[in-house]
Amino acid sequence: MNLIPYAIYLLLVAFHEVVFRDLTSIYGVTINVPILLVLGVALYKSERAAVWFGFLVGLVVAASRPDLTGWYGLVTAMVAGLAFHIRERLNVESLTSKMLIVFVGTLVYNVVTAMIEGLDGFGYHLYRLLLPGTLYTVVIAWIFFMFKEGRVTIQKIKAMF
Amino acid sequence: MKWISTLVARHGRNVQYGVIIVLSTLLIVAPAAVDQLVGPIVLNGLYYPFFKLRTAVELLRSQAEANQKLREELMEASLQLSFFDEAMKENERLRSALGFEPPSGYRLLAAEVVAVSGYMVPTTAIIDRGSGEGVFVNQPVVNEWGLIGRVSSTTPAFATVQLLTDPANRVAGRVGRSREMGILRYVVGRGMILDNFPVYGDIVIGDTIVSSGLGGVYPPGLPLGVVSEVKRGESAAFSQILVDPAVNFHRIEELFLLRVEEFR
Repeated sequence: MNLIPYAIYLLLVAFHEVVFRDLTSIYGVTINVPILLVLGVALYKSERAAVWFGFLVGLVVAASRPDLTGWYGLVTAMVAGLAFHIRERLNVESLTSKMLIVFVGTLVYNVVTAMIEGLDGFGYHLYRLLLPGTLYTVVIAWIFFMFKEGRVTIQKIKAMF
Repeated sequence: MKWISTLVARHGRNVQYGVIIVLSTLLIVAPAAVDQLVGPIVLNGLYYPFFKLRTAVELLRSQAEANQKLREELMEASLQLSFFDEAMKENERLRSALGFEPPSGYRLLAAEVVAVSGYMVPTTAIIDRGSGEGVFVNQPVVNEWGLIGRVSSTTPAFATVQLLTDPANRVAGRVGRSREMGILRYVVGRGMILDNFPVYGDIVIGDTIVSSGLGGVYPPGLPLGVVSEVKRGESAAFSQILVDPAVNFHRIEELFLLRVEEFR
């Protein structure tokens, strides 16, 4: 297994956590790039890659909360495994079903990590940050998958103008 | 050890989940010291370069903002400086005009030029005084250097001044020293000339030309210019005399209108 892409993804996660998150934030609602990458790997790569990559991403994301490192690693790995199993059992190919997996996966991850962190006013956070954040991530994922699956290309965009 | 490889071969999928669960559980239940070991490794290894990058970008951005602010302040300061410079020059001009004494029997009404027009040289000027302040047509206009022209039309708030540089404007002039007379007028391309001056008249370069007072528009004795060239043709009846105007018509700003003083 070629590990270089995963190392680059981990760097991308760190880059997002430090730099990109604040730049892309809209009224506090942010893109969840780490889980998006994990779900991307789960939808396109092997189970082993997805689960271990998810575990490592969890460790990287939890760097600022060392007391929750284990929890983050576990939750991210389990979400990756879950997404891989859904994809494998349902033989998901359509973009819509992939988006549904991304939506559910991101929402589950956001809700579980919020519960682990013990946020006060969970309902408010769910309505104010977690759900909008999930939708924001799904929109970005949709654009990303459109390019990845060749439905949108630079040539097509140029042809529109 | 053989049983481990058999287990992994048969239940590889479950084993990897088991390992992850065990590792995670160890990290969860491990003492704080272990957690404090993992966090800094990730922070120093992955986050630190990006922290440096972000700090550098933020520093650059704040310096760019400070730079922009300083540029704006500099612009404002230089604008203010140029206003002060202008005010200082105006102050000097007004101080110089303050010492200007009107001809005997006349009073001064100060006015400011708001616009000038003319081709190559200004020929008319608009001033900020009009008939509302008693300005009337043919009223003489001067400044501290000499005669400028006369009012050619008025509105309640503004008046148009026909300058001596207008070729249609003629003034009866007199040589200050010899008292001989001629007609001062402006010729486009030649400049100010003293016309109708006898070829054997008493005039030399450097003589001052003043208004003669004939014609009833301008009071006598107002400086018009200084003779700069005298040509006397043998067969001509009149001399060709060039005059340097007393007033620089390109720099007129504050003017005075002359009004006959009313004695009670």
